[in-house]
Amino acid sequence: MKTTYLAILTGLALAVSPVGAEKVVIKGSDTLGAKLVPQLAEQFKAQNPGTTFDIAAEGSTTGIAAIIDGTADIGMSSRRAKPAEVGAASGKGKNLKPTIVAYDGLGVIVNSANPIKGLTKKQVEQIFTGDVTDWSAIGGSSGKISIYTRNTSSGTYSDWKELAMKKRDYAKGSQKMAGHEQIAAEVGKNASGIGYVGLAYMKAGGIKVVPIEGAMPSQASVLNKSWPYARPTFYYTNGDPQGVAKQFVDFTTGPVGQKIAGRVGFVPIR
Amino acid sequence: MLRKYLVLITMAASLIAGAITAPAQEAGALLDLLVKKRIITDQEAEEVRGELNKEFSQSPAGKMKLSTPLTELEIYGDARVRYEVRNGNSGPPGTLVTNPNDAQQRNRHRYRLRLGLRGTLVDDWFFGLRLETSTSNRSTNVTFGDDAGPFGKTSDGAFIGQAYLGYSGFRDIRLTAGRIPNPFVTTSMIWDGDINPEGFSQQYKHTFNLNWGGGSTDTAASEEYSKDGKSAAPAVSEPSTMAIDLFANFGQFVYDDNNPENPIGAPAVSGGRRVPENDAYMFGYQIGAKFNFTKTTYFQLAPTFYHYSGYGNDFNTFFNGGPNFRTTTVPPVTVTPNQTGINSLFVFNMPAEFGFSIGELPVRLFSDFAVNLDAEDRALAAGRPDKDDERYAYQLGVGIGRIKTKGNWQLNVFWQHAEQFALDPNLVDSDIFDSRVNMEGVAVQAGYALTDAVTVNLTYAYGEQIDNTLGTGGVGDIGVNPLREYQLFQADLNFKF
Repeated sequence: MKTTYLAILTGLALAVSPVGAEKVVIKGSDTLGAKLVPQLAEQFKAQNPGTTFDIAAEGSTTGIAAIIDGTADIGMSSRRAKPAEVGAASGKGKNLKPTIVAYDGLGVIVNSANPIKGLTKKQVEQIFTGDVTDWSAIGGSSGKISIYTRNTSSGTYSDWKELAMKKRDYAKGSQKMAGHEQIAAEVGKNASGIGYVGLAYMKAGGIKVVPIEGAMPSQASVLNKSWPYARPTFYYTNGDPQGVAKQFVDFTTGPVGQKIAGRVGFVPIR
Repeated sequence: MLRKYLVLITMAASLIAGAITAPAQEAGALLDLLVKKRIITDQEAEEVRGELNKEFSQSPAGKMKLSTPLTELEIYGDARVRYEVRNGNSGPPGTLVTNPNDAQQRNRHRYRLRLGLRGTLVDDWFFGLRLETSTSNRSTNVTFGDDAGPFGKTSDGAFIGQAYLGYSGFRDIRLTAGRIPNPFVTTSMIWDGDINPEGFSQQYKHTFNLNWGGGSTDTAASEEYSKDGKSAAPAVSEPSTMAIDLFANFGQFVYDDNNPENPIGAPAVSGGRRVPENDAYMFGYQIGAKFNFTKTTYFQLAPTFYHYSGYGNDFNTFFNGGPNFRTTTVPPVTVTPNQTGINSLFVFNMPAEFGFSIGELPVRLFSDFAVNLDAEDRALAAGRPDKDDERYAYQLGVGIGRIKTKGNWQLNVFWQHAEQFALDPNLVDSDIFDSRVNMEGVAVQAGYALTDAVTVNLTYAYGEQIDNTLGTGGVGDIGVNPLREYQLFQADLNFKF
């Protein structure tokens, strides 16, 4: 009887999985995982029938943790791994290997009705740290500034602190959003709102990008590193990727993958 | 790939040479430059960063996690083992002493440990914490074998010696609150070096660079400012210059807390006098200057006023300072007059120091002078209005050599004279004259550096009672008052880290 049940279970398992299917588990950054990586996966699947993807975009911290824990093949991250994470990986016999996926430029957005014409880097720091709390203090109309940021597990959250806030803490009343799209949506609804999003999310409705020191973010300024809020985005793997994960990493950094990256709003690495 | 490994080896070597004090992120500027110069690609730079991060995470420094607001952290401290002999003679009969012509000698093996942590935070805030052995306010020594044992640990505790926070964001100004390092320029005649007052301090220091010409710089006078005070005024050639460090130090210390200030019931009365029920505060005001004539020749003067407000819980009896005396013979009842009162103390103090060098040998002449401007009232309260002229204290000394590195030596010799109503006996150095006033004598201190971190020090002091009709006010280690004669010998081995 036991042998019969075992045979039935095995048959069921085979029935729900395509023959020769290979699954790639990808976890981490919302910056990469909301748009770019799903589109890359679709194209990859079209070229490699039978490959399946399990993508969870819940923040860079979760992506790096997944590589350390061995629960993902690829960890998406919009920030570099921290020394503590590298140490934790070593302690578990893992080797965090970064691969640059594409470059991203973060920009400051406000509601399209906001009369503000531009900001300095110092003013950006003052706003997001809470040193300045009213638009009138920086040349805008009177009104309390509403700050929208990514949540704490996001690589963008810590990248912004490093790039724009001299590593200081965010203002107490800042509201934490699950993704760039949510930040853009909230700022679009709130005339006093301000936030930051990646290049891929700057065309959302109801918002406008604010010039910083008189300049606007662009693919060119990100690539030549003149934009102050530019950063690379990463795949992290345990050492050199293997099998289908390696194929997907190579696909991402190859011509087709980079073309998709550019189309989505990132800055290609080549 | 070869370039990546070359870069990795080079950067790893530089980090290791620097005791791996910075993670890979700190090497970011160099990697960015290499990328910009197209020597390596971004991807190669990231791989190098990752490798360096891995190396760093496995180093001792990489295993330590520090909070983000911290910009600098320093661990420091010192340890000392000491052999000490102190001896006090009570003097001949005829004076009001309990044991005439007797002496008390204390030979002690002692150690001390001080372990500190100080750091700076973002936006010009700073903090400090120091653990010290001993509960004493004027000593960090623990005596070997003085507790239940053998080898008990009752007296071997660690206590908070310093715990303070402060702000240095205003130009030239440093504000500190807590249990703080003594903010004043001072000597052991006024303040024991182990005392860390509790309260607040405000310190100002500014360097003025004066130029009288003679070089190619034509600015008559220029000012400089830097937060670390390390920058130097530029000079094309060598004009005649002098730097003046102008400084001001102010302190407001909670000397003794009295609680409750308004107790239930009738006010306490002692000796027909209502016992004050308020906190005791000590205030200090110092304005001084250091005239740096050359790199090795200077003169420093730091006039200071100290005064007190209130009496606290433990200092509400007037100071007497008189000798111990017996009221009965059988059974013997000994009375010790008050030795700690802080009434009528308004002290003007002026430490001064002149430094120069003879060849390569640094020499300094130092002095301290103090006068209690309220000594008349203090003497009157002690029942000795005839001694209201016992109001002066002074110290004169010479120091030769300076210990900085291995092989350096130093010799200090000074004479000190402190009259009965001149100073606060609760603050004066606890070693040189056993925490007493109405004492004068000589002290000799010699030191030699065995290494950059280890020094040997020897101290000898000899003191005598100044006025034989008065006690030697203050509470010291020798249980005799008056101290007709006093001798001290200390041999120290110091470790500084």
